[in-house]
Amino acid sequence: MSRRAPERSGGKEDLMKSNERLKRYIREKVNQLLSMMGTRPLDPAELDDNSLLGIDPIGIIADSFGQILEHLEDTNRKLISTKDQLQAVFETAGVCISIVDPDLRIINCNEMQRKLLVSDLNEKQFVGRYCYEVYCGNDSPALYCPAIETIETGRPVFIRDIKKKGRYFQIVTSPLKDREGVLQGVVEVSIDVTEKKRAEEGMRQAEKLSAIGLLGAGVAHEINTPLGNILGYAKMLLREEGLTGEQKEKLQVIIEQAKRGSEITKGLLNFSRQSNPSFRMVSLNDCVQKVLYVLSAQIERQGIGVIKKLGAVPPVKADSFQIEQVLNNLVINAVHALRQTPGGLITVETRRVGDFVETKIIDNGEEIPENVLPMIFDPFFTTKPVGEGIGLGLSICSGIIRDHGGAIRAENDKGQRTVFSFTVPVASNDGFPQ
Amino acid sequence: METISLDIRGQICPACLLITLREINTYKTELRAGNACLVIRTDHRDATRTIPGTVCAMGYDITVTNRKGYYEITIGCRK
Repeated sequence: MSRRAPERSGGKEDLMKSNERLKRYIREKVNQLLSMMGTRPLDPAELDDNSLLGIDPIGIIADSFGQILEHLEDTNRKLISTKDQLQAVFETAGVCISIVDPDLRIINCNEMQRKLLVSDLNEKQFVGRYCYEVYCGNDSPALYCPAIETIETGRPVFIRDIKKKGRYFQIVTSPLKDREGVLQGVVEVSIDVTEKKRAEEGMRQAEKLSAIGLLGAGVAHEINTPLGNILGYAKMLLREEGLTGEQKEKLQVIIEQAKRGSEITKGLLNFSRQSNPSFRMVSLNDCVQKVLYVLSAQIERQGIGVIKKLGAVPPVKADSFQIEQVLNNLVINAVHALRQTPGGLITVETRRVGDFVETKIIDNGEEIPENVLPMIFDPFFTTKPVGEGIGLGLSICSGIIRDHGGAIRAENDKGQRTVFSFTVPVASNDGFPQ
Repeated sequence: METISLDIRGQICPACLLITLREINTYKTELRAGNACLVIRTDHRDATRTIPGTVCAMGYDITVTNRKGYYEITIGCRK
């Protein structure tokens, strides 16, 4: 098959057509590029074909796009670097930060939030879940949820002392809006104020105890004298001859009741601590051993097991008699709490916590009701049956520990154990691990 | 700092934009380094919209000043 050569005139026409098509194509593509840059298309009346090629618009626009791409890459690098910096600040912030969407589903949260409020879930498990389920452990949002108020009003909300998972938080919620001002979510910043709240409660307790102590001491002094007289005269009468059995019995009641009154006044004087403590270098482990030895008979009688976890703790500066009094009180309380518990167990632990030695007395008896815990160190507060306790023991312990510069605390440990703990400042660091 | 002046009064878009972009591409190194700035005079109002839009996307700082009878567009390195 032979190929036929194009006719000369037809070939020129074809070339012109092809040329026109190419010029049209170039104009269309230039206009397309100009439109992408937000400007008007070329006007053939203003720019003929020769001028168009001379200006080289495709070349200019290609170079400009090159610069746009360079700028975008540079901006991307800066954005990634800034994002990394912000992420580091977000993760290491000393407060809890969480971001939720307008439906209260978790988008993100930082390390502190995970540590205090997320418990055992990993990121895949909590992202997308409702914040009230994960952070508050509830099936529905709280009545005064600050995040809901922020979603409804679009304004920041500050709220004090919200209790979540046994801890107290101050919370600030702020709206997260896009560039058009449409709400995208809520940033919730929570500050853990549990320790601060405990310290404030401690201060209030101290003031209350101080006032009651003064009153108690005054009353005890005034009552002690007539009580002594009642006791003395009753004993004298008891020695009289010719008393009937009934009279002797009634005198015995007077003597017993006067003695009981005397015990109460003694407790009040102890509570107000008229006697000055004498501080010396004391081994807390020795105090624990001594108290457990003294109480061993009572503990064994109830069939209670004792576990001692005594750490290598440095000596404390303390009045050993008073510290033993505290230990004695706490261990006896544990023994009483285990009366109805088969397989009762008392664990006594000592360990160093910073500049303090911490002692814990833990029992597996019935837990202390949550509503009772805040009052447990109040004077004359007792849960024991009438006649068994006057409610001064823990108040006295609280005062003693406070005078030693430490702190005392009672809590339920995961609903299974009751933990009483107190701290006393370390006297010397020589030879003991920090 | 060197000032590169460009008077495109009488020109309209898209020529204004194309001429400006050609100058920026030519002096890219000096402009990026902050050693030069480009001052354009134009009396085409549309250019005060098209030029800043594209030039900002290229990563330059731009200011538009309304002078008597024309606009002055200054393009320089982003601070």
